[in-house]
Amino acid sequence: MVKLGKYSRSVSIIGVGCTPFMYVLDSPETEGLTEGELFGYAALDAMKDAGIEAKDVDFYFHGQASPTMGSEYITPNMQVADWFGMRGKASIHHSEACCTGYLALEQAVNAVASGKYNIVLSGCVDMADSRPVADMPAHKRRKFSFEEFVYSTKFIYDRAYTRSLDAGTVIAFDDAAAQYARENHLTDEQMDDVLNAMSINNRRNAAKHPLALMKQEFKDIAKENGFDDVMDYMRSPYNPRMSEYLRVSGVELKCDGAAALIVCPTEIARQFTKNPIEVLAIGSAAYEGSQCHLEARGTAEAVRQAYEVSGVKPEEIDLFYANDFIITSHLISAEIAGYLPKGEGWRYILDGRTAYDGDKPINTNGGRTSFGHAHAASGVADIYEAVNQMRGLCGERQVKKLPRTVMLRGFGGGQNLASIILRTLQ
Amino acid sequence: MKMERIVKRFYDSLEEGKMMGRKCQRCGAVEFPPVIACNTCSSTDMEWVEISGRGRLFDFVLPGVLSSKPQNEVLQPYCYACVELEEGSKFNAIVCGVSKNNKQDIISKLQNNLPVPIKARIIQREGYKTVVFDLVTD
Repeated sequence: MVKLGKYSRSVSIIGVGCTPFMYVLDSPETEGLTEGELFGYAALDAMKDAGIEAKDVDFYFHGQASPTMGSEYITPNMQVADWFGMRGKASIHHSEACCTGYLALEQAVNAVASGKYNIVLSGCVDMADSRPVADMPAHKRRKFSFEEFVYSTKFIYDRAYTRSLDAGTVIAFDDAAAQYARENHLTDEQMDDVLNAMSINNRRNAAKHPLALMKQEFKDIAKENGFDDVMDYMRSPYNPRMSEYLRVSGVELKCDGAAALIVCPTEIARQFTKNPIEVLAIGSAAYEGSQCHLEARGTAEAVRQAYEVSGVKPEEIDLFYANDFIITSHLISAEIAGYLPKGEGWRYILDGRTAYDGDKPINTNGGRTSFGHAHAASGVADIYEAVNQMRGLCGERQVKKLPRTVMLRGFGGGQNLASIILRTLQ
Repeated sequence: MKMERIVKRFYDSLEEGKMMGRKCQRCGAVEFPPVIACNTCSSTDMEWVEISGRGRLFDFVLPGVLSSKPQNEVLQPYCYACVELEEGSKFNAIVCGVSKNNKQDIISKLQNNLPVPIKARIIQREGYKTVVFDLVTD
């Protein structure tokens, strides 16, 4: 087992930025936006938040889930640099599919903790709703069809064995739901209600977030379709099953967006902001798609590392985020992290306790099923939300108790797992 | 270090009707499908062994809209399962013979820690052979 060492020097987040998560092709106001522009706007927002300019940034990291497919780029960090004033400065690109945005923080923190750089920007962008039009300038894109997306998901699996054995179970990570239902003796109907309740919760949160993709609550969609009870709607063919357990409401909404953050040594953080957020720990693990129950195993290991190196206890976590491109993640990762009691989390969800105004809030931005999933950018968007919750800036979706300690659980990329612990600097 | 073509030998062996793994000479763990080094103790002292094909299913999901594939229709009914070989390797694979009709029976067995035995079968895909499992019924 890996034992993490303490950072050589403490690192804090001093700025965050995020674009709306959107379908750029669906609005005349956004159609034509490019990946360089999205990354640039998110990066500039983060710099403005930190009170710095590009000249102050020593190095930047660029994350994109699949630059070859999404942008026809091999080294996309080169193509965005000029868009926010970073021409000539060193940078690298990294790509861990849906976990990219969480590991974007890890890259930046390591670069500062090592002592090599003082001010580092880490940003991620994906235009997951569209693809480039061949041989046309960047503002010309076309829709990325669902069929193309499903086909492309095999690219996260090993070609030697996983694809031929069908060991990756495509993108339906239903094993987490199957395992949870079996171990906790839930009927299929109970598990269905738990998954639906999480989807409702995510959407209720997203409805109050100005940057979220989907803002219409399921209770209103239900009424429009003649259902007085939202759960009756969620159980109906209006919300069809996509796999044995998951309904369409519990599957990611791939979309376009970017987000960025700025970190620096904690010892100088107050020069830039009055409320720095210290990165206490980042635990991580990785399993190839052929490995059984990889999400649960990898989450357990990442969480163990983060708690061990930070000394934080599960009961100290005030707010939890899970990358829930499969809604089940929302429940199982919160239980594995000890944020919800083992085997009891499903009751908390059905009782509404994980809503933004509950006592155990999860995914206050609406998560991947409602805030949206601009694949690489989603993790940084979650950090953006966590930081703003910790600053008390989230308006009507602000959680009841100002969170001091927050955990984010990253997941994705065939598959990386990450567990981040943030704490408001006293 | 001698560079052996492990993936090629695995698929070539399937053409001959054999399922081959690699056994660690230091700790005894078996890697199936075969790889260079032992994931239990890190040794690179590995020897090829023929796999019995016997094992157990320890979790599963039925295919749905997102996870159904046209090439698997000939395998119906089937599930995507977590399996463990009697040699010890654990991985995800297709197990045939599982459907809505016997789903609850299998879940009950798993909840009561009863074995759900399976047996490997080599099948032909387009251009190569691969391995699926069959539920072993009484």
